[in-house]
Amino acid sequence: MSTAIAAKGFSQAAFDAYLAARDEPAWLLDMRRKAWARFQDLPLPSVRDEEWMRTDIRLFKLDRFELPDALGHGEASQGQVPHALLAAGVNLGGRAVVMNSHALSAKLEPSLAKQGVLFGSLQHLVKEHGDLLRPFFERRVVDPHKDKFAALNAACWSGGTLLYVPKGVRIEQPLHALSAISNGGVDLDKTLVILEPGADATMLSETASTDTTGGGMHCGSIELIVEQGARLRYVNLQNWGHEVWHFAHQKGHVGREGRLQWTIGALGSRLAKVNQHVAMTGPDAEVQVNGVMFTEGKQHLSYNTHQHHQAAFCKSDLLYKAALQDKSRTVWRGMIRVERDAQRTDAYQRNDNLMLSRDARADSIPGLEIEADDVRCTHGSTSGRVDDQQLFYAMTRGYTRREAVRMIVAGFFQQVFDRITIESVRDALSEAIGRRVSDIKGL
Amino acid sequence: MSDYVAVAKATDVADPGSMLVEVRERLVVLIHAAGHWYALDDVCTHDGGPLSDGPLDAAGNTIACPRHGAKFDIRTGAALTMPATKPTKSHEVKLDGEQVLVRLSDG
Repeated sequence: MSTAIAAKGFSQAAFDAYLAARDEPAWLLDMRRKAWARFQDLPLPSVRDEEWMRTDIRLFKLDRFELPDALGHGEASQGQVPHALLAAGVNLGGRAVVMNSHALSAKLEPSLAKQGVLFGSLQHLVKEHGDLLRPFFERRVVDPHKDKFAALNAACWSGGTLLYVPKGVRIEQPLHALSAISNGGVDLDKTLVILEPGADATMLSETASTDTTGGGMHCGSIELIVEQGARLRYVNLQNWGHEVWHFAHQKGHVGREGRLQWTIGALGSRLAKVNQHVAMTGPDAEVQVNGVMFTEGKQHLSYNTHQHHQAAFCKSDLLYKAALQDKSRTVWRGMIRVERDAQRTDAYQRNDNLMLSRDARADSIPGLEIEADDVRCTHGSTSGRVDDQQLFYAMTRGYTRREAVRMIVAGFFQQVFDRITIESVRDALSEAIGRRVSDIKGL
Repeated sequence: MSDYVAVAKATDVADPGSMLVEVRERLVVLIHAAGHWYALDDVCTHDGGPLSDGPLDAAGNTIACPRHGAKFDIRTGAALTMPATKPTKSHEVKLDGEQVLVRLSDG
């Protein structure tokens, strides 16, 4: 039974009213209440915490935002939906749009629905398929107690996207999900992707603002469950307006002989703090993580990555590349963790930063924690400016300085683009980066 | 250059003492020392540490980062000791009666 919500903000009264209006299974409401209790107990992270010492959020004011209206009335309308970069020219198998945490639309090819595939609003589908989805929720892939933002998302997620692919079903066409906010809006998105054993799918997920200079808050979570022998290609492009606060916990569980290719593009937001975690839970699992970042102005993007080897004979390979201009800043903290039983692990992590301004700053902190004694774990990190010799060479061949810099930046990212097997994603990221490169100042 | 913004009452900050204030979406440490007022960006240029949490030496005109001990001149923001090598931004401060006002140096 739905009731109107009068209480605002993230108060107990607002939460109670929010739950009363949701009409969800009792087990889910119970999970939300437990997470809410944790949310209330936890302080906001501070620069005194090791993980947050390079990401200062003292200017972030949670009380300036509020829970989305559970009835979905008001601000959301199809006319406002921003352009989706990853969907251009792609033959999609399904499409879902969420606006200000409210599901706007969802479509799935009937042929896929016939095979048992579920795709669309998590908020709606969990009501219809609660028994199927409950075990995956109970796995708590993202720990709702990790920090205040994880607890807030677990308690109050709204809208959201679900992709469920039954055992052995292979989907050729990518599925696309767009989550958007208007100026000052709140996105409490939760993405849940489940590939049953032997399934195969590609999901393209992106976030955007209706106003590229607008503000707002995203407090989200992504859970990718790749069961035995399944293959998932997952792309997540963060393209919020430049005043949006972005907090996210993202985690993949990859089972025996599972394959996950996870590509992130981070272009927008005022400040982003993302925990991206991949866990190889069964032997012979393989994970490839690709990251592309381009920052400008006073943007601050902070990514904590974690490659967790829990089983033997697994492989993980992470490559993050960032180009920074103006007074922007990136922080990458990467950890490869190998458990005692994860013998014959093959793990690699690398972060390269291209500094396009003297005032930009990149912090790159790779790390290894290895309990097993028969592994290959390596890491690397580079940070540098555009090479003057390369510039000089290009200019002797007739290019202007600006053209030469553009070419060098494009070449810098090419290494990561070459790893992305989905052509439309490569093109979209390349175009988005190219647009920004053309605006490089001070050349 | 931006206008002055009222950030505190003079009685809010002991002498010697400091206080964290927000000025136009920017964190600034307001310092009261030997009868004078100063304002610096609340950021150590070495590691981004919050200077407002660090010890103030009014006699020596310095404030230190609590993380690695880098010292900055409270009058100019100049980095005085390693590991900081770049100055932190210094802002103008004036009193208007009991009100302390800060003007950001780069708007």
